[in-house]
Order: sequence, then C-alpha cells, then structure tokens
Amino acid sequence: MNTSPPSSSSESNNSSRLTPLQTHAGIPSLATTRLRRTTFFSFVFLGTVVGIWLMFLMLDVDGVTWYEAALLAVFVPLYYQLNVGFWTALIGVWMMNRPKPDPLDLNRTITNDDLEAPLNATTAIIVPVYNEDVTRVFEGVRAVYNSLQRTGKLEHFDFFILSDSDDSNKWIEEEAAWLELCRQLNAFGRIFYRKRRTPINRKSGNVSDFCRRWGKRYRYMIVLDADSIMAGSLLVNMVRIMEKNPGVGIIQTFPKQIGADTLLGRVMQFAQALYGPAFIAGLNYWQCGEANFWGHNAIIRLAPFIEYCALPPLPEKVPFGGHIMSHDFVEAALMRKAGYAVRLLYTDEGSYEEGPPTLIDTLKRDRRWCLGNMQHFWLLFAKGWHPISRLNFYHGIMSYVSSPLWFLFLVLGTVTASTGQGMMGQQATFAGQLLLGLTVMFIFLPKMLILMDEVLTGRLFKPFRLRLLTVVSSLLDTFIFAFMAPIMMIFHSQFVVKTILGQGVRWVAQRRKLGTGIDWREPILTFGSTAILGLGWGALAFFISKPFLLWISPVLIALVVAIPFAIMTSSTRSLQRFGLFLTPEELYPPPVLQALEEHLDEVKDRPKMQPELEQRFGLVQVCLDPYVNGLHVSLLRRRKNPHHSREYFIYLSHKLISQGPNSITSRELTAVMYDADIVTHLHYELWSSSEDTLAPFWKLAIRQYNLIAPNPFIHLLAQKEVAA
Amino acid sequence: MAPLETAVSSPMEAVTIHFAPKTGSEEEWNEAYARLADYFRAYRLHNRIRRTQLILETLRRAADAHEIDPKRSPTSHAIEQARAMLREWLGQIYQGMELTESQIEGSGRLGFHLCDGPGRWPHFFIDRDNLPPDMAEAMRSAIRTSGPRLQVSKMTPRPIDLGLFDDGEEEGEEGSVSSTLRYLILFIIITGVLATVYWLTR
Repeated sequence: MNTSPPSSSSESNNSSRLTPLQTHAGIPSLATTRLRRTTFFSFVFLGTVVGIWLMFLMLDVDGVTWYEAALLAVFVPLYYQLNVGFWTALIGVWMMNRPKPDPLDLNRTITNDDLEAPLNATTAIIVPVYNEDVTRVFEGVRAVYNSLQRTGKLEHFDFFILSDSDDSNKWIEEEAAWLELCRQLNAFGRIFYRKRRTPINRKSGNVSDFCRRWGKRYRYMIVLDADSIMAGSLLVNMVRIMEKNPGVGIIQTFPKQIGADTLLGRVMQFAQALYGPAFIAGLNYWQCGEANFWGHNAIIRLAPFIEYCALPPLPEKVPFGGHIMSHDFVEAALMRKAGYAVRLLYTDEGSYEEGPPTLIDTLKRDRRWCLGNMQHFWLLFAKGWHPISRLNFYHGIMSYVSSPLWFLFLVLGTVTASTGQGMMGQQATFAGQLLLGLTVMFIFLPKMLILMDEVLTGRLFKPFRLRLLTVVSSLLDTFIFAFMAPIMMIFHSQFVVKTILGQGVRWVAQRRKLGTGIDWREPILTFGSTAILGLGWGALAFFISKPFLLWISPVLIALVVAIPFAIMTSSTRSLQRFGLFLTPEELYPPPVLQALEEHLDEVKDRPKMQPELEQRFGLVQVCLDPYVNGLHVSLLRRRKNPHHSREYFIYLSHKLISQGPNSITSRELTAVMYDADIVTHLHYELWSSSEDTLAPFWKLAIRQYNLIAPNPFIHLLAQKEVAA
Repeated sequence: MAPLETAVSSPMEAVTIHFAPKTGSEEEWNEAYARLADYFRAYRLHNRIRRTQLILETLRRAADAHEIDPKRSPTSHAIEQARAMLREWLGQIYQGMELTESQIEGSGRLGFHLCDGPGRWPHFFIDRDNLPPDMAEAMRSAIRTSGPRLQVSKMTPRPIDLGLFDDGEEEGEEGSVSSTLRYLILFIIITGVLATVYWLTR
C-alpha cells in the first residue's frame, strides 16, 4: 500500500495550494462534501442573519447609537457560534436516526473479509507523560496491553512511554513501574520507556522526538494521553481502517470521559455521554475529510506525519508566539495540506479519557488551552490551508474569545439600559420577543431532541427507568451549566486578556482525581473577586432598572454564588446513589475499564509509608534499593564529560544525606540523578553513613523501607495477575 | 574489646561463629551489623542463614579494613566491603561482556532481580566460589534496554507563509457554470427567507 509522501515536484515550501489528494480511498467525494457543507452553512448563515436582523430591529428605535452599534457588532460572532453548535447538534441527531447508515462512516469500509485478513502493519502506541500519577499511567498501559492481547494481534503493536517528567520522584517511579510491568506481562521488547533529558517543545516535542528516533520502524502511531484508555478491538479496527483507506492521514476517535468521582466531573461525564455523540455525528457530517485532531486517542499515518507535520515556531516570543502549544489542530491542518484526509471516527465504545475533577482544575486546563488556541491567530491568515482547516482554527480561537465578547455584550447591554433606551415601539418589542424565543430554541432544542432520542431509542440505557433518570439528570445539569457558564465567561475573558498582554503559562501536570479532598481556601481565593464583581454589578443593575436586573440576574446570581458552587461541585457526593448522572461506562464498564479499576483498587489498598516518605518514594527507592538503583543507573546514558561537575555533585549528595531532601532544590536533585556514577555513589554513601550523620528523613527511610516494600517494584503496580 | 559471639541456629546443627574485631567499639560494630542486615534485606534475601553468613563474612573483612584505617566508621567499612564483594562476584559473571565497571554494578544488581535470583539462587548470592551456570546465564541475558534500535528520521518543519490569506483549493473546484448556478439558487433561497422574516417583523 502507498504510504509514501506525495510528489513534491509541483510543491515548493511556500506553496499556497493544497497538495492534490493522494487517493480518494477514505476521502469523502467532492459532491458529498459540497452538498453537506452547503446545507450546513446555509442553515448557519440563515440562523445568524435572522438573529442579527431581529437584534437590529430591536435596537433601531430612534437610530442606532455607538453603543448599540457595538452591541450589534459583538452579537454577530456570538450568534454565529450559537448557530454552529445548534445546527451541528441538530444534524447530528438526524444522522444518528436516519434510516440508512452514514455513507461516510469509516467503519463501513471494513468488510468481513478484512476482519479475517492478517494485519501487515506495525503500530506504535505512544503515551507521552509529564509528572503524572505513575500508577494510573502504567495500569492504563497494562489495561490496553491486555485488551490488545485478547484480540490476538498484540505482536503488531509496540508501546512507548515517553517521559518528560522533571520531578525526580516521578521519573524513578516511572522507571520502576515500567520494569515491573514488563516483568509481569513478559513484555520486554514490547513496552519501552524513554526519558527525555531536555523536554524541548513540551508534548509535541516529545512526540516529534519519538518520530525522529523510531518513526521509521512503524507505519502508524496511536497517541494516548496519560489518562487515555483504548480497547484492543478498537485499536485493531483503527489500523484496519487506515490500511483500507490510504488517503486518510489521521483518524480521531471520540474519547468518552470516565472515572469521575466529583459532582462536576460526573456531570461533565454524563453530558458528554448524552450529548457528545450527536455533536460528533454533526461534526462528522460537515467536517468530512477536514476534521480535527485532538492530540490523543487517534491514529496517525507516520510517513506523512514525519514528512509534513513538523511544527515551525511562530513569530514573536512566547506566549503569543514561539513554540506552538496546541499542536494538534495545526498538525491536522498540515496533514490535510499535504493531501491526506483527517477523519472523525464515530465510536460508541473503546475510546476513553478522564476529565478534570473540579471547576478550578477545569479552569487551569482551560488557561493552557486558551493560550494554545489563541496562538492559532497567527495561522488564521496563513497561506495554503484548506478553508475548513482555517475555520477549525477560527472556531478554536472563538471557543475562548467568545467569552470576552459575551462579557462585552453584557457590559454594553448595561450601558444601553442605563441610558433608558429600552425597547420602545411595537416592532422592537416583537423583534425582541422573537429573538428571545429563537435564542432559547437554539440553546435548548438540541438538548430536548437528544433527550427525546434517548427516551425513544434507549441509545444509552435500555431499561426505561434509567432513561427517565437520564431525563431528570439532564434537567439538573441545565442548572449546573447555567451556573457554570458565567463563571467560565469571567475566567476565559481574563485568560484571553492575559494572553494578549503576553503572560505565559507554566507547564504543570494536570490533576485528574481529587485525591486529598477539597481545600476550601482555594475556591475562596479563586472566586472571591468573581463574587464581588457579581454583587457590584447587581447593585448597579438595581439602580438602573428592575427589569434590567431581572434580565441580567441569571448571570449575576451565578457570579455571586461562585464560591459555594465551586465547593459544592467538587464534592464526592456526586448523586450516584440516586441514579443521577449515570453513564453506561459507570453501570456496565467494558472489560478494559473493569480491569483498570480492579488494579487501581488493589494498589489503593497497599500499605503506605509515612507521608513524607510516600511523597518521595522514588527518591527513597533509588537511594536505598540496590535493584532500583541498578535499574536507574543502567537506563542512564553515559556522559561524555563526566568529571567537570563531579565535585559539586558529590557535595550535593553529601548534603542530601546529611540534611535531607529539602536541603537541595528540585533542579539540583534532577542534575544529580542524571549522573550514573553519582547515583551509585549516593547509594553506597547513604548505606555507609553512621546514624549520627544521617538526616532524620533517611533514618526513618532505612527503618521503614524493608518493611513496606517486600518487592522493590510492586509498590506502584497491582500484583493480582502475577499471583494468578 | 570482648569478642562478639553470634549463635546461628539452623535445622541441621548449631554453629558458633567468632567475630573479634581489634578496633572499634561494640556499639559501632553493632551499628555496622544492623546496617548490613538492613542492606542485605534490601536485596530481598529472605534466606536468613545466607544473610547471616554474608553479614559475618563482610564484618570480618570490614574488621581487617578498620584496623588499617580506623578513622572511618565500621559501618562505612562494612558497606564498602559488601560493595567490593559484590563487584568481584558480578565481575566474574559478566566477564567478557564489554561493560564498564559501573555498568556491571548497576546492570548486575538488576539482572539478579530480573532472573529472580533472590528466590531461585539465594545461597549463591555473592558466592564467588560457586557460580551455578544457569544463574550466570540468566543474569547475563537479563540485561535489558529501554528502547528498540534507533531508526533515525528527519522531521524538519516547513516554513509557513503567514503573510497572505490564500486558501488551498479543492480539486475541481474552479468556478464551473454548474457551481455558479448552485450558489445562485442558494443565494435566492436565503434572500427569500430573509425577506419573509423582514415582512413578518416590519
């Protein structure tokens, strides 16, 4: 089959044209694509123009003032966004219920004969990690590995855990977990571990580094996030689809959220399970061969990816320029530019990820995503993109910029109300009522249709009782999202402004579980100013007019109660016992998730060391344990010039032993950990030191270590299967 | 200093071992003993007899070394001797494998774990005189690498012209009569709908 890059004879680096398609296998026909896009965008255009016209009629009572004109200008992109969402969902519901299956469904390209045929392709499953929960990452890999093994096609896949962790503890724990997992599964030579010394360009740099080193060995690459889980059957199916459709460069699956244990996490998980499929079907309808890549749970054709999808730096410095942070959209656009389709694969099951547990974690993640998406502004007007790739960039930017626009809309609305120029005249009143009705329909009709679809078809749940509980949950999530949206608006607006002002974002590991519980100070400090803003705005609205206060009150109430809302939704009392916000994965977990859960439960029940030792378990192991120390040393590359900093490292290791881990910085510790001879020296020096020269931390560690870790490598991973 | 006596009971017969260091205090040697015990336990040697044998052999060597250099603590000498014994033992196993000394030490320890040495050959740990061939072979083949052989590719970014808005065109999209007609019909329909809305709201 053809995986070679397209001929570049007619294409220079500065070419503004798309490379002709490689082959049409896997690429929707031009006629279908045109028909679908014309239909979709006509509806969007119509809905938007009608909304704008009604808004104009509402404002144009005695001519349009500057603030009314500004209000109208802000309204346009917001209403467009609303229409895109509405029509995507509406068409999605239609696609899910149409009598004939979608002719563009990639699953239909696989015949029964294909399922019988042997796999000829080699695929690398890569898991880039950065200071993640080591147990979760490696138990996740185990779950995927075992699931693949059950398909009988394991020999066609290799696993790579690609670490950029700069926390030395995590680094050592990752090494130990890798070794133990390989030992348990007998997977040496099948699961590999790679630690980058210098994490250039973050995740995308990590993936590129893999491509440069090992990319030629594989035809396909499946990218998983640290919290991703994919079923073996789906992985094999994706490879088969790629084999059958050589015109496809990337296939993105729909990762369903799993594993939430907080109220907010479960609500998001439920909403994604219920509404997500319709949106995915709708997106698939109009994106056709120009879909997006979301960075994980996707399969990539490696040859064109290596050839065409390396990311150039953006002009200007970070944060607005420099290294491209949200690399996935750009890689999708580059792949399409190179003549390969990027497709969405509609999947009911087999592709999973975890979401942030609390509102604050959601905002932290959005801060990074906002910066990444805002960077795409540079690419919006660049040459050579497919128009839909350009539109994807625009939608990505607007997903954050719409917040300051909405904020501005409310501010301008306040200004308009304060002038006393409300709706006057029959025409303006009628237009206002019509606009309100239309907007309510755009917001709620998709939800109602999706609910109706669920009640009638039982797509999520067959028992009727569960379908009714889904309806109740959906009504409740309306309140949650109504409270959440204004808070998100305020924070997203701040993120956009900060990005424009040039404030960067630190690369931090994403929290995926609540862990130690709610820290009340964090919501108070985070949302205190939001509540004050809500109160101030409310007072202003009260003085302007009571009808205006009523109109803006849903937004203001949400802002005022932001602190209790954040605390309440972070609770692990997530209403699961009342049968609310249930997802199919919670009730009937597929084998791959069931196995993961069992293993995680087993590890959770393990005996723990003192908290200070538990937090630095990797360090304790590499210093005390002869096997872990040996593993770490044997995985380190030899240094070319090992002597120039030797004395300084010996000084640091002496300080570490005599004064404890807090006496040296994290960077110093990492530097020490990179020197094989020093790490060996540290091991013997620690064991050689008399009690009176050891820091209390190490005295405790020596006393406890042998009791807690009967096997040096089992502390992080489950042992059930080994015992079996 | 009075000789320390350690009695070790085994199922076979009681063995009395004399250990009489000429230098260092009893407290210091007790600390060295305890540290060595912890150290060898860290190797997961659950066979207590072998562990005790190793501790005593190491302590004897440490006592000799302490006589020569009494400035350093017996604990320090004991661990140094344990390391020297381990290096000699691993050196024999990995002879001819072109490994540096520190590689032999790191990979050797790991190799012993990976071939389940503590469970299968606990009696032969650091026993230079008795090297079971299957243990040596298992340890030699257990040396692993964390990644497959490299196959280096070039992945060079292509510059993107950010300057001008110029869409890539789809194949066959250049304005044919039929496509113009299609867009004209669409325009008329949308204009008609908008005119109706206007008429309704005027």
